[in-house]
Amino acid sequence: MVRYFRGHQPYSNLFPLYCVEINQTILSYSSCKMKKAFFLLIVIIFSFAGIGDAQCTYTISGKVTDNHDHLPLEYAEIYVHEIKTGALTDSLGNYTIGGLCNGNYTLQCRHLGCEDITLLVTVNGNTIQNFYPEHHLHELSLIDIVAERGTEKTTQSSYEMRGKELDETRGSSLGEALKNVTGVAAMQTGSGISKPVIHGLHSNRILILNNGIRQEGQQWGSEHAPEIDPFIANNLTVLKGANSVRYGSDAIAGVILVEPGKLRDSAGIGGELNLVGNSNGRGGAVSGMLEQNFKKISPLSWRLQGTLKKSGTVAAPRYYLKNTGLEEYNFSAAAGWKKKNYGAEIFYSQFNTNIGILSAAHIGNVTDLLNAIARTEPLEKGEFTYDIKRPYQHIEHELFKAKAYMFTGDAGKLSVVYARQYNLRNEYDKHQPLNDSLAGLNRPELQFEITSHSVDMLWEHSTVKRFTGTIGVSGMTQGNTYEGRYFIPNYRIYTGGVYGIERWTKNKLQLEAGVRYDYRHLQVFKYENNIIVSPVYEYQNTSGTVGAIYRFNKNITSNINIGTAWRAPAVNELYSDGIHHGTATYEIGNRELKPEKAVNSIASIQYNNHDKWIVEMSAYYNTFRNFIYLQPVLPPTVTIHGSFPTLHYTQVNARFMGIDAQVNYYIIPQLMLTGKASVLRAYNKTIDDYLIQMPPDRFQGELTYNFKSIKKLKDSYVSIAGIVVNKQFRVPANSDYAVPPPAYTLLNLEAGTTFYFKKQPLTVGIGGTNLLNTVYRDYMNRFRYYADEMGRNITLRLKVSI
Amino acid sequence: MKTTIQHIAFIALLVISVFTGCKKDKDEVVIPPPPANESEVMTTFKLTFTDSAGAVPIANAQFRDPDGDGGNTAIQFDTIKLFANKTYIVNTLILDETQNPVDTISKEIQEEANDHLFFYTPATINATITILDQDTHIPSLPLGLQTKWKTMTASDGTVHIVLRHQPGIKDGTYAPGETDIDLTFQVKIE
Repeated sequence: MVRYFRGHQPYSNLFPLYCVEINQTILSYSSCKMKKAFFLLIVIIFSFAGIGDAQCTYTISGKVTDNHDHLPLEYAEIYVHEIKTGALTDSLGNYTIGGLCNGNYTLQCRHLGCEDITLLVTVNGNTIQNFYPEHHLHELSLIDIVAERGTEKTTQSSYEMRGKELDETRGSSLGEALKNVTGVAAMQTGSGISKPVIHGLHSNRILILNNGIRQEGQQWGSEHAPEIDPFIANNLTVLKGANSVRYGSDAIAGVILVEPGKLRDSAGIGGELNLVGNSNGRGGAVSGMLEQNFKKISPLSWRLQGTLKKSGTVAAPRYYLKNTGLEEYNFSAAAGWKKKNYGAEIFYSQFNTNIGILSAAHIGNVTDLLNAIARTEPLEKGEFTYDIKRPYQHIEHELFKAKAYMFTGDAGKLSVVYARQYNLRNEYDKHQPLNDSLAGLNRPELQFEITSHSVDMLWEHSTVKRFTGTIGVSGMTQGNTYEGRYFIPNYRIYTGGVYGIERWTKNKLQLEAGVRYDYRHLQVFKYENNIIVSPVYEYQNTSGTVGAIYRFNKNITSNINIGTAWRAPAVNELYSDGIHHGTATYEIGNRELKPEKAVNSIASIQYNNHDKWIVEMSAYYNTFRNFIYLQPVLPPTVTIHGSFPTLHYTQVNARFMGIDAQVNYYIIPQLMLTGKASVLRAYNKTIDDYLIQMPPDRFQGELTYNFKSIKKLKDSYVSIAGIVVNKQFRVPANSDYAVPPPAYTLLNLEAGTTFYFKKQPLTVGIGGTNLLNTVYRDYMNRFRYYADEMGRNITLRLKVSI
Repeated sequence: MKTTIQHIAFIALLVISVFTGCKKDKDEVVIPPPPANESEVMTTFKLTFTDSAGAVPIANAQFRDPDGDGGNTAIQFDTIKLFANKTYIVNTLILDETQNPVDTISKEIQEEANDHLFFYTPATINATITILDQDTHIPSLPLGLQTKWKTMTASDGTVHIVLRHQPGIKDGTYAPGETDIDLTFQVKIE
């Protein structure tokens, strides 16, 4: 549509040349309805494809040295905005970035403790550009970097997923995407619902921060997946271990940060388009993003992003998994105003999904369940279709966020964030009422609506005598209402918290300590014998954390952290009362539950010899007092539908310990061997037995070959992975209807490359999971009783950025 | 012309935010609407035994859990008491007593006869049970709201009654579908 631009001008000057064509495109769509807005966005992005120059083989290189003592700076990050590529300086302060054309580029140099430097550099052949950043340890820039990156260097073990690794997960759900991180497993309900499990814990024991906001959905159910579009993120970070001080109660097992990229701060328009196709389920996803920073109004930037996803019936190796279709439609919009000393940002996102639930998993009672287990294949198999029938879930999640910050002189930075979240969950049972007039309404049998408002205020202070730190207060109110069948009551929650974390850094040592106080007020509103009862529950707790990072030398770094964390019992644990149709159990809450408290210790060590080896290992040991879980009790609950095993929410003392390890070994510079292991032992100390439903040991071996860049092909690689998941042997005797499924091995393949059409990168990836079409069941899938896991799936991914 | 792009983008942003304005907060948290009667529950299962010869009086046996599953447990779960060497015609009645007036679920089962099938399985009693009524399939398949119980010598035991819901998949066998009712009555034949 648009021919490439040949010239030596900044990008921001490009647009007048294309406006005519773009406007025509827009006009031709202008009569369409809102639903077309998304496609419009794609068209706009496409119309920019092909911008570039013929000669894109030049390099830019140079040295980064301290402005004062002229010493080389290692680990400084040089980033080229236009091609979204960066490099780190080596121990001599040198860097090289290839793949550049003749023309102008915006280069940014960042180094911890230094002020960012942004330069417009004209590349003319191989070009040299040195940077001389000033160290500002006593000024604001350190804080600025910390705050804006969001992921502080914590003393806990953490894992960041970005770039190629994140690209490989495009199209899958958040829970699926994080599965490859050591120490993280996915708890599934069929093929469509997946939620992350960190060190054996999930749901209310993990916090998900969606763009900095605590996700307040319906996290309590094991079949309630996080209501988040992973395409929003250009960075997924898992913080393993207790993070209660920084992020509040509930962050007992860890925190997942879903972070969009920063709004564009250099003038011009940018965008990205992702296309994903899956063979299994014949599904696809389209996700587009468009952003702009104004040249004339330079503080102002905006971004629009949207995703459409649809998939049909998924197939196990031997049959179709009936009613496993899925659809999703999400979008977000952001706008920011950024000045030197203050700034503000608003963000709005919507997540909508319909997820079919495997028909065979909806059962009447225990006899049905035992019959289903006895069958090798589900009775209802069906055929391929895109239709989603009952039973299914319809979920909506809305997030509105407004953030403002200002620098309080030289002393620090003050930020205030307000957020509103609305969450709707409709669950449609397999059957409609027999009564025709009721059935005609087609109402969900279960409906929950949660609305939350939260305010967070934090002040990050500048470095004073080697100390940096943050103090903050936060508050939230949340209301839940339900309609349809009773499972949990209406409730209103007020929470408040205040915390402070200080960090002291000297040479190779960083020490960290923090303390937090939380208060939680819960009032339940519920009819009992036609009278409203509204008991109040109040909880309060003080948590603390201490940790250290020590860099022994340039190869070895180690972290240690000990933290306490707590979690007040959730409403379902206090008040649930009903049949869970997926598992044929009758769950009963316990109104006497006390908050559970944990002491969490984690130590990790990283070894990187900057040549052949990168090794990261962490070991954790967590003890719980009053760990809340579902315990089977006698007698079974007798109903007209038959009898159901009764499960009561109970508290015990528990212990979780384990090891996460990852080793990368470069056999030759192009060929890398990766080994990963996640091992967990979870124990119920009160009854001296194992805890149920814990992820089995998981090992992964991977061989990756990175091809040398040739003219127009870059970052080409192919990798083959073998995943071994052991059988979970460590389960209490007679605690489950079926023994845990046997161990299995899967073979996966990934390959990708980036083509440069002129200067325009097009990233293509192809992936295959379960290549051998292995028939298996996974212990962490609640539907393991009913059907096999998904068979072979081939995924094709395309990404275009401008 | 560049400003045109900016304008369009801005308008797009504005339009999207207007069209998708936040959903209203639910403010019924504090005083929830009383428990709705929209969902359908089965609370009562009643068998009426009529001696086909008219020689012995009509007998009844019931399972009653008036508040439905959970909450309070069943308040009535009778033992079926029958005379030896008789033939009973038995009608099955299923009620939803949470509704006012009480809803007769068995009527709706009758209407959806093609999607439902009862199973009556006696154990250790000397009796045979046969289904009398049929659905409208061609050829027709049994339903089981009306049955014939033939008792023989005196004995004690149970009868296991299961209603299978088999929408569109009923073929006369037990396997398809799922269980709607599953009750085991004690039986005394004297």
